[in-house]
Amino acid sequence: MASLKDIQRKIKSVKNTQKTTRAMKLVSSAKLKRTEELAKKSKVYAHKLTELLNEIAQKMVSTNIEGLDMPYFKDIANPKVVDLIFITADKGLCGGFNAQTIKRVNALRKEYQANGVELRLRAIGRKGVDYFKFNRVDMIDQVAGLSSAPDFEKSSALIGQVVEDYLNGKTDKIVLVHNGYVNMITQEIRQAQVLPVDHTSLTLNNASTSELEVEPDNDNTLLEALVKKYIEYTIYYSLIDSLAAEHSARMQAMDSATNNAKDMVKSLSIKYNKARQEAITTELIEIISGMESMK
Amino acid sequence: MELLKLEIVTPDGVIFDNEVKQVTLPGSEGEFGVLPKHATLVSLLNAGVVEIETQESKKIAIAINSGYVKVDETKTTCIVDGAVAISGEGNELANALEEAKKLLKSTESSNIAIANAVAKVEQMAKML
Repeated sequence: MASLKDIQRKIKSVKNTQKTTRAMKLVSSAKLKRTEELAKKSKVYAHKLTELLNEIAQKMVSTNIEGLDMPYFKDIANPKVVDLIFITADKGLCGGFNAQTIKRVNALRKEYQANGVELRLRAIGRKGVDYFKFNRVDMIDQVAGLSSAPDFEKSSALIGQVVEDYLNGKTDKIVLVHNGYVNMITQEIRQAQVLPVDHTSLTLNNASTSELEVEPDNDNTLLEALVKKYIEYTIYYSLIDSLAAEHSARMQAMDSATNNAKDMVKSLSIKYNKARQEAITTELIEIISGMESMK
Repeated sequence: MELLKLEIVTPDGVIFDNEVKQVTLPGSEGEFGVLPKHATLVSLLNAGVVEIETQESKKIAIAINSGYVKVDETKTTCIVDGAVAISGEGNELANALEEAKKLLKSTESSNIAIANAVAKVEQMAKML
């Protein structure tokens, strides 16, 4: 049986942990609010950009302009090399957030390996990098520090290289995996094909039939610029989305940690009280029996 | 007077969303003005100044770096990378000017285009 002092010490330490987890939860919820705001703002931009790309792609499909032969749209039925970009957090203590992404990456690795496809990993976020380094899996890109502070320029530079590889034929397909934000308590793994741009999914409903004038006339210039921007923005937005999910996951993890600590303090206090009562009873018995023997 | 809906969207959110009389945009093939019922058009935008004539016939200038614009009969949507509104008075205006110049210079377009745009920004500022 642990002594009174031991239990007391334990209670104190659990209480301290509780303080830390509570503080971390507050920090995360504040950060989440900020990231959410950012996500909301950039969502408008992303939405408009997709809309514009949709419309142009649609026009090109309907008028059969040769633009769809562009490498950006060329669908390769049997890709030989696939680049997998995945986003994890730079820090831990956020529940299953990173583990979920890694699990999906591993599943994809197995799947592609079974099909004899060479998979190249591009890791964003320290946790993912650490995991695959530890397991001796080769990564061609290891980026840390970007997922905790998304930066459009940095992410564009990163994706620029990937796109170049794609255009040079070094890779046939680019897939992006990240853990996305749904709401305060839910995150979900999102997997998207970045390149080639899937124009079948782009073609949406609102096909306006009016003629579209394009400047510069050389169609491909505009489309190329637009596609590039679209890809860059997709990555950037995923980074923000992932960050929001990270904060919400951490908030949740810290919340349950605080609750667990609370429960532990409660059960420890009961144990402490019992032990104290026991000690008092023993002492009393000793005194009484001492007095009895004096008689 | 008919109006057209103008929207300017940046990665930091919507910075302008209102009905206006007229807007002049720095297209990559040259500057062009848009009035209501303009034919559908998609264009690249260069670094430059977007001039807006509001419902109250007031002039607003917004410096942008590169982007895209989609015009149709009722609505004009600009999707730009960065934008600074040139407005305010005294110090505020000077700050906005500085920022607009910085924004224009940060783009990769040719020096002449930037110089042109900067000159325009200054000219606009004098008019305000």
